[in-house]
Amino acid sequence: MKKIFIIAAILFSGLAFAQDNGYFFGGFESNSQWLLDDDGLNFDAPEDQFRSNNYFKLDYNLGMFTAGVQYETYLPSALLGYAPEFDGHNGIGTYYLNFKTETIDVTGGYIYEQFGSGLLLRSWEERQLGINSAIRGIRIAFTPLEYLEVKAIYGQQRYGFEVSEGVVQGADASIDLGNAFNMENLELNFGASYVARYQSTGTNDTIPSTVNAYGGRLDFVSGNFYGGIEANIKDPDVIANEGQLSSNKLYDGTSMQVDLGYAKKGLGLSATFRRLENFAFYSDRLAEGNIYNQQLINYTPALTKQQDYMLTNIYVYNAQPRLIIESYDQRSGEVGTQLDLYYKFKKGTTFGGKYGTKIAANFSYWAGLDAEYDINNRWYEAKFIGKGPRLFRDFNIEVKKRWDKKWSSVVTFQNVIVDEGIVHGGPLGPQGDIHATIAVLEGTYKFEGGKSTRLVLQHLWTNEDRKNWAAGVLEYNFNSRLAVYVADSWNYGDDDDIHYYSIGGSYSKGRTRLGINYGRQRGGLICVGGVCRFVPENTGVTANLTVSF
Amino acid sequence: MKNLVLLFSLILSFNAFSQDNLPNIDVKSLDGNTVNIQEVTNKDHVVIISLWATWCVPCIKELDAISDVYDDWQEETNVELIAVSVDNSRTVKRVKPLINGKGWDYQILLDTNNDLKRALGASTVPLTLVIKNNKIVLRHSGYSPGSEDELYEKIKELSK
Repeated sequence: MKKIFIIAAILFSGLAFAQDNGYFFGGFESNSQWLLDDDGLNFDAPEDQFRSNNYFKLDYNLGMFTAGVQYETYLPSALLGYAPEFDGHNGIGTYYLNFKTETIDVTGGYIYEQFGSGLLLRSWEERQLGINSAIRGIRIAFTPLEYLEVKAIYGQQRYGFEVSEGVVQGADASIDLGNAFNMENLELNFGASYVARYQSTGTNDTIPSTVNAYGGRLDFVSGNFYGGIEANIKDPDVIANEGQLSSNKLYDGTSMQVDLGYAKKGLGLSATFRRLENFAFYSDRLAEGNIYNQQLINYTPALTKQQDYMLTNIYVYNAQPRLIIESYDQRSGEVGTQLDLYYKFKKGTTFGGKYGTKIAANFSYWAGLDAEYDINNRWYEAKFIGKGPRLFRDFNIEVKKRWDKKWSSVVTFQNVIVDEGIVHGGPLGPQGDIHATIAVLEGTYKFEGGKSTRLVLQHLWTNEDRKNWAAGVLEYNFNSRLAVYVADSWNYGDDDDIHYYSIGGSYSKGRTRLGINYGRQRGGLICVGGVCRFVPENTGVTANLTVSF
Repeated sequence: MKNLVLLFSLILSFNAFSQDNLPNIDVKSLDGNTVNIQEVTNKDHVVIISLWATWCVPCIKELDAISDVYDDWQEETNVELIAVSVDNSRTVKRVKPLINGKGWDYQILLDTNNDLKRALGASTVPLTLVIKNNKIVLRHSGYSPGSEDELYEKIKELSK
């Protein structure tokens, strides 16, 4: 409490001296749930029925300086499925002071940063996942020449309302070679990164206290073609599982990603290949593999398509960068590919019709590394590609079409194979696969005066796991501000025959948005940006409010 | 509870000084160049900034709907739409093929570590901002079919 008054006092006094061009900005976000008992789901509301995550962010800019604080409360408890470090706490989550000119940008306090695609370092915030891996320290970005940028960071990573034991330091340089050498038809960007973690080893002097990781990347754009390659290596380090070191043996790690694409008006193609071997980097070596995604220095998202519907979000993939050598579980990483095709049939052609028809097709295949494991000696050797255990194979296609001024439709088809271990946890490979086919039909009708309605019908066929599902959503927009919906996912194939119904609405005007829902939440993985958290099944009312200013 | 009430009153008081400037944030263009969001919107005509992502269905619906009438809009008002993608490194590789597959004519910028999204206090996308004379004059979250017509009415007003 006292802290808020102090901050408010400082800011108000600052206002008294503020010049004409200084201004405040920020926002408030509140995500709350009121859990209810539900016999149908065998769900008993926990003691703290009301849970709420709240974020209040306030920034002030004056000329080249910007400063801000973010105050967070998780009272009386954090929402279900969030790291227990947040329960019952409130306080200043992050703060920063930034000075920025055309060539130099210095920040002290909590910083967010990403090197390249994030395979070595990404500190970010995703409130839906309970992730805030901002680094408390200092960040300097220096652009001495138009085509050269150098960045350096140093600090400890945020963990709940504290910071990690490990200290993270990193540097990154990127050069726009095309600009530097005045190449006309070729864009070429080269980058190199270095990240290290220092963490005391206590009495153990066989394991390294500093672990270094290095990487390089090259991106190009030439005419309609574009692509890039990135490769990283992490020096030998221990591995840990469930808060304990697996042994004193050290293993190095590597990651590699290659992208290639072709894009011209009406057609887009993209292909990605990625291989990860022992490539999860934590700011606390003992935090490896924690289910709340805390203290993670790097970012290895699942390279699969983010699906749009309820039933296409049941069997999703979670990337597997870790090395585990135990009698009950052996894995060393993942390798795979993803392909995307976007095509528009032009207006007036047979398939195009009056407005054109848009197709998006996607294919992804992910497998564990093809490796031999010697459990007793805690040793392994993995092939570069080989034929490791298939973990995920997805083929999906979506066709969007506008029929006339009022009607438009989307038809989606997906065929997916996913390893049981990915969906339910446990070892990858021996538990078998789940094969599923999903079809979705969506239609939107536009009335006069900004009103519209949307109906979605979905069906999932599978002989494994919980068997078949049928689902539907009906949504009505009164105008651009107010919308209501009713939805149900019905697991009729399973003996329990459960309906996951839900009803709600949202109101959005200017700087404010309010959403309220009541219903049942299917338990499982909720994935945002390729990173997932597990949400237990629950029933209740949820409310989301955001105000920005 | 008391905390929430205090927070609410703080917010209401700060509303008096609410932001109508775009934050001073750098984003990237599709060919990897750094672009400052305040500079790129410093124009005589009305500029629309639309925060979107390849995985956001309503965002794509909104940009598709505007794309159908973008030529007419530009002819009448000289308005410019800058579509800033908040795709992170997981999905950013899809941006180029998607915008070409759809045939959009907008200027596309990339906010891969969500610095602009965070500075704007945007918790969801789509977020549509209308900028005139370097000030944010309209801000709207979400999309429902037909709301682009309301948006255009506002743009016509501002372009007179």
